[in-house]
Amino acid sequence: MMDSGFDRRDFLKVMGWSGAAVALSGCGNTSIEDGKETVVSYVEAADYVIPGIGVYYNSSCAQCDAGCSINGRVREGRVLKLEGNPASAINRGKMCGLGQAGVQHHYNPDRLREPLLRNGDKGETITWEKAYALIAEKLKGVSGEEIAFLSGGVSGHLKVLLGNYLASFGCKNHFVYEALAPGVVRAANKKAYGAEMPRYNINKAKVVLSFGADFIGAWVSPVHFSQQYAQFRKGVDGQRGVLIQVEPKMTLTGANADRWIPVRPGTEGILALGIINALGTATGDIAAAVKGYDKARVSKETGVPPGQIDKIAAILKLRSPSLVLAGGAAEGYAHGSQNAAAINLLNHVLGNVGKTVEAAAAVPFPQMVPAKGNTAALKSLNDGLAAGKYKVLFNYAANPVFTAPGALKFKDNLSKAGFKVAFAHYLDETALQADLVLPLNSALEDWGTQVPEYMAEGAQINILQPLMENLHPNTRGMGDILLALLKQRRPEEYKNYEDYYAYLRAAMLQNKVALGGNGKDDDSFWNETLTKGIIKLAGTTTALSGKAGVAGLKLPAPTENDEQYPLQLIPSVNISLRDGRHSNQPWLQESPDPLTTIVWDSWVEIHPKKAAELGIVEGDIVEVTSRTGSIKTQAYLFPGIHPDAISIPLGQGHEALGRYAKGYGVNPFQILDAVFDRETGELAMYETRVKVNKTGQRVIVVKDESAAGAKQIREKIAGRVSSDNVDLSKEV
Amino acid sequence: MSVSNLLENWSQFRHYHPVDDKPHDPYKWAMSIDLDACVGCNACSVACYAENNLPVVGKEKYAHGMSMHWMRIEHYWDEDVGEEGGREFPDQGAQFLPMMCQQCEAAPCETVCPVGATNHTADGLNSQIYNRCVGSRYCEANCPYKVRYFNWYDYPTTDNVWPAEMTQQLNPDVTVRGKGVMEKCTFCVQRLSAAKVTAKSEGRIVHDGEVQTACQQVCPVGAISFGNLIDPQSRVHKQWRAQQVELDKDRQAKDEKEGGTNLRGYRILENMRPYPSVMYLERVRESAI
Amino acid sequence: MKDIREDIAWAKINQDVLKSLENPRKLYWVILFVAIAMVGVAVGCEIYQYSTGMGVSNKNNSHVWGLYIATFIFWIGMSHSGTLLSAILHLMHADWRKPIYRFAEAMTTFSLMTAGLFVAVHLGRVWQIYYALPYPNERGLWPNFQSPLLWDAMAIFTYLSSSIVFLYVGMIPDLAICRDRMHEGWRKKLYTLLSLGWEGTDRQWRNFRVTYLTIACFLIPLAVSVHSIVASDFAMSQQPGWHITSFPPYFVAGALYSGCAAIITLFIILRYVFRFEEYMTMGILKKIVRLTFAISMVWTYLNAVEFASVWYSHDQASKDVLIQKAIGTYAPFWWGMMFCGSVVPLTLAFKRFQTNIPVLFAVSLLLNLGMWLERWMIVAPTFAHGIYPWAWDHDQWPSFVQWGMVFGSFGWFTLLFMVFCKVFPSVSMYEVKEMVYHRRQETKKLEATGKFATAGKGAH
Repeated sequence: MMDSGFDRRDFLKVMGWSGAAVALSGCGNTSIEDGKETVVSYVEAADYVIPGIGVYYNSSCAQCDAGCSINGRVREGRVLKLEGNPASAINRGKMCGLGQAGVQHHYNPDRLREPLLRNGDKGETITWEKAYALIAEKLKGVSGEEIAFLSGGVSGHLKVLLGNYLASFGCKNHFVYEALAPGVVRAANKKAYGAEMPRYNINKAKVVLSFGADFIGAWVSPVHFSQQYAQFRKGVDGQRGVLIQVEPKMTLTGANADRWIPVRPGTEGILALGIINALGTATGDIAAAVKGYDKARVSKETGVPPGQIDKIAAILKLRSPSLVLAGGAAEGYAHGSQNAAAINLLNHVLGNVGKTVEAAAAVPFPQMVPAKGNTAALKSLNDGLAAGKYKVLFNYAANPVFTAPGALKFKDNLSKAGFKVAFAHYLDETALQADLVLPLNSALEDWGTQVPEYMAEGAQINILQPLMENLHPNTRGMGDILLALLKQRRPEEYKNYEDYYAYLRAAMLQNKVALGGNGKDDDSFWNETLTKGIIKLAGTTTALSGKAGVAGLKLPAPTENDEQYPLQLIPSVNISLRDGRHSNQPWLQESPDPLTTIVWDSWVEIHPKKAAELGIVEGDIVEVTSRTGSIKTQAYLFPGIHPDAISIPLGQGHEALGRYAKGYGVNPFQILDAVFDRETGELAMYETRVKVNKTGQRVIVVKDESAAGAKQIREKIAGRVSSDNVDLSKEV
Repeated sequence: MSVSNLLENWSQFRHYHPVDDKPHDPYKWAMSIDLDACVGCNACSVACYAENNLPVVGKEKYAHGMSMHWMRIEHYWDEDVGEEGGREFPDQGAQFLPMMCQQCEAAPCETVCPVGATNHTADGLNSQIYNRCVGSRYCEANCPYKVRYFNWYDYPTTDNVWPAEMTQQLNPDVTVRGKGVMEKCTFCVQRLSAAKVTAKSEGRIVHDGEVQTACQQVCPVGAISFGNLIDPQSRVHKQWRAQQVELDKDRQAKDEKEGGTNLRGYRILENMRPYPSVMYLERVRESAI
Repeated sequence: MKDIREDIAWAKINQDVLKSLENPRKLYWVILFVAIAMVGVAVGCEIYQYSTGMGVSNKNNSHVWGLYIATFIFWIGMSHSGTLLSAILHLMHADWRKPIYRFAEAMTTFSLMTAGLFVAVHLGRVWQIYYALPYPNERGLWPNFQSPLLWDAMAIFTYLSSSIVFLYVGMIPDLAICRDRMHEGWRKKLYTLLSLGWEGTDRQWRNFRVTYLTIACFLIPLAVSVHSIVASDFAMSQQPGWHITSFPPYFVAGALYSGCAAIITLFIILRYVFRFEEYMTMGILKKIVRLTFAISMVWTYLNAVEFASVWYSHDQASKDVLIQKAIGTYAPFWWGMMFCGSVVPLTLAFKRFQTNIPVLFAVSLLLNLGMWLERWMIVAPTFAHGIYPWAWDHDQWPSFVQWGMVFGSFGWFTLLFMVFCKVFPSVSMYEVKEMVYHRRQETKKLEATGKFATAGKGAH
């Protein structure tokens, strides 16, 4: 039964899903074996349900902000497995492992089930009514400047409601914070192309030169880019695409590159200008700006051999169009904006703008367009908290106590806020500091709309619809919560909306024509929308307008060696764990890191040469100390990293969140120095310098690799053939 | 308990090679994996956990080598990278290889199970019958790829494997295995059975693309291709044919050719003659850079 | 050195042997208790393993087999002692086996019983062990006759039942003696029942001889085939280090080796405890020692054959496993095996040690240690360093559960053997009488021809 139920029957009236129709529903976690529940056959099943055959619903994945559309298999009222929704241009029926783990988020045993009110060190269960009443009480007499709302990226109708709620106080303090936001790249793109996130056509490029953009792993929209990558490899005109990755530490994308180039951390911009110089095609301002970046100088400063620079320039010239990407490795410095600007300049010089860098369509509803998270917002919030500005703080979809750089001392500053409300799925580190914690529905049981930041083709709005009834009876959707809070502030405006579902439906129907529902009656339009799971729109496309400018392009010389802290810390973003919000999903903890195959733990990647210098072998527990603090974890020798850098993955080292996260690994966020990009104020994640010391302890590293050290040894197991000897165009 | 049953089945029993006189009909499930497309993201592995009720064993048991990933992503570095006197940096990253039960036609595991818990099905799968398995583990000892996984503990009753609500995620079409039982990739046989039933009730065979394994379905780069090797319209058939890889040869004709060919398809450990049903396409290394 | 004096009276033989069946001294009970305690350890380990899962044995997905299989083969190997002595040497008319074959056969039977336990504890689902038997079931299922493990099951079952029959049948005349000499009590009842009304008539003796000979002839190929089948558990697989054609004879040689070494150990113990010096003479000891030496050299040769064939093969994986055995994680145990199996027996070549009891006792124990290590070194290194590099695991060691079971198995064997020694005559009285009779005939013949058959060279 693998068709995604293109049975047009009316199976989407969630209101019709009364408990009686769905035996073995999500509520009540009982088991038949325990004798606490009996199996009741469907004498009167809902008319689309055949016991034993799955029903499929489309919704949206909320495990990251790429906004893939998913198709959930539901059996007997429980969602079992998620697949991709073929109708979405973003993921086209595919998913990533992180998305698959969405069910583990939904069924997670550590999810919050009841509203909790702080009483000393403990949280006492209270009712929702009391909670809302308490919030209203705490907000009485508080002015808009004294309220702060911290959230992760939000879009769609949730953003609208949130904005309205804050507007009802005259509060302008909405801090949108994402720990791993590509903030610097956005700003650089805006300058260079006129759009923060243009469309990258990897599948149309013949060469992709990526400066640390891990687009296959965890950058922006990995599932979409992976599909484009697959087409890229099959080749435009039968010629297989070439991927060159430049970064100080190998990412997943780097592992798949035809050539991985280790570069001295921070010097990506210098290399970019060096390539422009080597191309020899630049004129005017640009040529003048890159004149000083000859091969010898660039090679000395970046560590990339001159022959390599030549090869890169040669292939970029030969195969066109190409695509140059700036990623986390490039932007993570105080001069990150400069790096990104230099890299974007390459696209202009190579003539890629308009071909592989195109304008993205935008959803014609600016109020729904995503409020993008960034790290500069965190700094502002932190400053405000430190000054004791906020009497009431709301927190949604952010865990800054875990993800804020240790140097900001966020936890201490947070305690200076008056009344703290957290809307959370788990008792994570931030929720533990709150005074009132309100439990949220998971994405699989919630309503909503979402507009992804990165638009694949044409514009689209993703629909979230519940794939089953509430697993826990007392959790609420964020939309419902905001609606209830809005009803406190503006009862007249919102009294007609019974709940968030009603609001969404009304809002969408109001714009039926613009959403493509012309000529259909309300019910049909609504049902079709829910069936598809996405709304595709023509959208508005603003042409790219940026200039290939060199104004203000000033790359600093590479940093001098710091005697006390000789190594650069690269906090790496793992494909599954990312910023740590999913660390409590056991499939992800048990899923080996693709590059090291380490599970359930953190590690320090050290180049074997540097390790030999320091006398470190695999498994040695080393102490990594920065100016801010120190953490201890196991060493892993890895040739894919610059010898002057070490790398520790983000996402582990939780002290709360749940049983599968707590106590595993260490948290590099803790030891990050507070350095910010000079232009945008974004956190410069790669600027922390550290020293490494052995502690004398040694453990055996828990990984999937064996004693063979990931070598093939004798027989060919994984084959490799030269591109000269293969003709991919003849393949099926 | 009939002797005639024994004799009849014996005559259909696995031959030394897969022979032409008893070909699979109408299905022979096979797979091909493009290593040039595979990016090592592990999505297939996680999807397999979701679809097949695989237990998460936790850090300690993983350290003891008791992981249960039916589909595992291996990676291989070039021999001299990072070694003494070798290259300092790899030119290319580690090469990723998704490895799961190769559903061998002459499976070394099938012959050695004392109770006959693992056999070959008519549609070309290596079957594992959980309730017949007594746990002698000879099958895994004999597997050249070591792709079988034993239930060393009783995971359904072990803490934190499937706590409270997580039991509701379990796929009811797949047995949840208790201790002492061997398990391995089944090419999502539950999906295959469902598809075959649907097709049969409509009086036809399963079309190409109608059924997908969990790993194939989720793979963001579409590296995995799965289907009926006998059906000439299926993608898998076309790929095997184009790569000139034949199921019942231990040395392919194309490998004997002078100067080789420009074909990428190969099977792993083919010379050990298990006749695996999975073909891999070699990763391509760009010569221009 | 004579194998036995020719002037021992029948009555004395009976008396000496029946004395061993007396109520045991205190030491016996102490040792028995220790043996039971050892069994208790094994039972505890098995209960833990049964209820928690095979994982407590510390095996894992590369090392799926461990000490259970190794010790299983060890005990099967040890069981070949009895067959060698009883059956093979019987066919060769080697009289010197007569005083010692009884306890050797008992050893065979009990070794097999111990080995059988390991088959059970090795299985992940012991409670379904009967699936390996062709029992009537509604699904029409037969076990898989292609599997060497199943051949094991059938072969060992056959071998065990045959050995029990052989042991029992060979004991009938002795049981009759016991019956006739015992006073009333449970023993008398037992022997009366078991001796099946043996009167010692001509007809009975003729039937007895024929039966005994038939079973002996049956048992010899069975013994060879059993250990060859056990060897084919490995030889029929494709693992490097296992897939070696010389394994069946190698295992049989190892089994005979193991068995002979155990005979020496038990010989020394029984001789001392029951004061069987007249019967378990130095002459016989010397012979068994020299036989052991010969077999050790055969074993060493077959080992060398294995190494050589690996070396000149094109099978790189097997070569690597061999090298890994010598220099890898298990190297100390492998070298220990080589030392115990090939170097230690060289002491047996020296006349001065061939009758030195303390040396022989120590040597025989070391030989068996070497043989046990050999079995372990066949099982473990190939999993540590097999064909597929991703699955290597150089760091796997058995847990206390496995060691506990191995430990307990020795207790189990000791328990069975000790009970046997006190219930049944551990020296075959009628055969010893035959041996004495033959020697008397020999001496008479030599006296008649004028050559004095005194102790020394040429003695029978």
